[in-house]
Amino acid sequence: MGETAEVLIIGAGASGAVAAKHLSEAGVRVVCLEQGRAVTSDEFYGDKPEWELMSQRLWHPNPNVRGLATDYPIDTSESDVNPLMFAGVGGSTLIYAAHWQRFMPSDLRVRTLDGVADDWPFTYQDLEPFYDFMDEEMGVSGLAGDPAYPPMTPPPLPPMPIGTIGRLAAKGMNDLGWHWWPAPQAIPSRAYRGRSQCVRRGTCMQGCPEQAKASTDLTHWPDAIANGAQLITGARVREITVNAAGLATGAIWIDRDGVEHHQKAEKVIVCANGVGTPRLLMLSGGDRFANGLGNSSGLVGRNLMMHPYAATVGYFDEPLDSWLGPAGQAIHSMQFYETDKSRGFVRGAKWNAMPTGGPLGMRSAYGGAPLEEAWGENLRRSTQKRFGHSFEWGIIAEDLPDPDNRVVLDDTLTDSDGIPSPKIIYRNSENTEKLIAFHLDRQKEAMEACGASSISTTTLMRDCGWHLMGTCRMGNDPETSVLDQWGTSHDVANLHVLDGSTFVTSSGFNPTATICAIALRSVLHMIETRAEQRTAS
Amino acid sequence: MNTLTDNQRQTLGRIGDSLIPAALGMPSFTGAEAQGEMVDHVLALRPELLNDLRRALDGVAADEDAASATERLNREDPEALGAIGLVASSAYYLMPGVRAIMGYKGQEHRPASADEEHDYLRDNLLQAVVDRGPIYRDPGVE
Repeated sequence: MGETAEVLIIGAGASGAVAAKHLSEAGVRVVCLEQGRAVTSDEFYGDKPEWELMSQRLWHPNPNVRGLATDYPIDTSESDVNPLMFAGVGGSTLIYAAHWQRFMPSDLRVRTLDGVADDWPFTYQDLEPFYDFMDEEMGVSGLAGDPAYPPMTPPPLPPMPIGTIGRLAAKGMNDLGWHWWPAPQAIPSRAYRGRSQCVRRGTCMQGCPEQAKASTDLTHWPDAIANGAQLITGARVREITVNAAGLATGAIWIDRDGVEHHQKAEKVIVCANGVGTPRLLMLSGGDRFANGLGNSSGLVGRNLMMHPYAATVGYFDEPLDSWLGPAGQAIHSMQFYETDKSRGFVRGAKWNAMPTGGPLGMRSAYGGAPLEEAWGENLRRSTQKRFGHSFEWGIIAEDLPDPDNRVVLDDTLTDSDGIPSPKIIYRNSENTEKLIAFHLDRQKEAMEACGASSISTTTLMRDCGWHLMGTCRMGNDPETSVLDQWGTSHDVANLHVLDGSTFVTSSGFNPTATICAIALRSVLHMIETRAEQRTAS
Repeated sequence: MNTLTDNQRQTLGRIGDSLIPAALGMPSFTGAEAQGEMVDHVLALRPELLNDLRRALDGVAADEDAASATERLNREDPEALGAIGLVASSAYYLMPGVRAIMGYKGQEHRPASADEEHDYLRDNLLQAVVDRGPIYRDPGVE
């Protein structure tokens, strides 16, 4: 620990793991500080009867519900949506659904095409080879030829079955002449690189007990550690340190005994997610950077995007085995993904057809029904109607960047080490509300087309902030962005950010494939230009 | 482990039956005998529910009608009623007899053959999507 790391990575989730593996492979001396711990697959409840009970607390995606010391509490009193995440080796990939979606070419050219938000500082074509590479590293299952995308390299594994719910949803889409495709997943349809074949337990979002799903504790960290990367868990960073020249020199972190340490480093990469990263930058910099480190633009923490999630559930008379996995999506649709201004809004959304889980099921996520509806004989009727007889069309709604949607430091709330917590200020825009209303109407048509006997909708699920993006956006202009196209701070030459904070726009897709592709692109660039970079040493 | 007193367990049974009555071929909460060891099992896994649960149960008089008590708790102490509901429904749906009636084996181990041709390819379900052709926007040609 006394040694100076060539690269210090803060956060061992998706982007941190990709960075650690590839930097260490190139012979770079890497130290990673992770505030959480390593989790083993036998801790997950997916293969145990108590799965649903534990999913509502210990493995809940909302850190405020889990209340673990390794989490930091978040003030969400001024937010329409709760941010979701997990602190640990593998980060939120431990409990993500593993939808492995690329962005569309249009997603990176929103200003050019639709006159809103901004274009990204690179194109889909620039990113494509890194998507291909990540497909291999994660072991993606999918079917080549989806006409919603440009032609691309086929994924390394055949697709997962779409199951009874996928076929039912697909028939309805065919009747309407709408797009659907077997969904790409970072879930192996056959054993792959030391991971097991998926057995379809449908518990992906509470951790995979089979060691099948591609979480980066399995896909990247073993290689990184074998390459010599040093991973320190239980290490909560409270500040990135800076020298007189304005370069990052490392980070101060606190161990689980409350002892402070200083990890010296030549370069610092922050991979702490779209909430944790701006929080840490705002906590850093001291008097020299009064608004926070790397924040001359004033945009650190701003433009938070979280993909407000809405859904339509269809109920069917026939049995659908709708607790069977994968949990995330059987098929997807991009029928209404691209902008059609006649709809009265811009941008669109991906749909995902997904199972509805066990008997406790959606009671936790979609709760709040009046007493007489939730219990008594109505409980019987609703359980009989839903359990095993329903599926959900979900909407990943693109929310546009808005500087008023932001992460700030909370005045009073702290984590278990006394470090100020983040506060989220986030409201859905009128564009988003119109977008969701339109998509819900179309989903009702899709459910009717596939024969639903009844339909219910959720206009906004509060616990849906899986996708934390935009709070340290990339761009070519230091006045309107925090990072350059390689994730390097415009202000601090040896400070980098590689997580979802870097996103310029959110797209309507689950972001982990893009987070990983951007991290890989940036890290390989860092390795290529190693000799030219300014460092603190 | 005695997580609840006899009185508390009796009250839990009464309120539990109000929330989960026998209907549509399914037993009630106590009819499934979920108020015994399974409730203790649930509370051992979720001990943070105990305070709200005990507060709720201790606040119900022995002669108070279960339906009225449920409505009152919902009005005056929804967190406490929430604890009763979660403990009761979790214990109930964990009972093997209940699962057997529902036809639910838990989250199943049901791997699919990755080598088998998918049904949507065999019966051409996907072909209409392929035939309609590309739907993406190419920024380079607009």
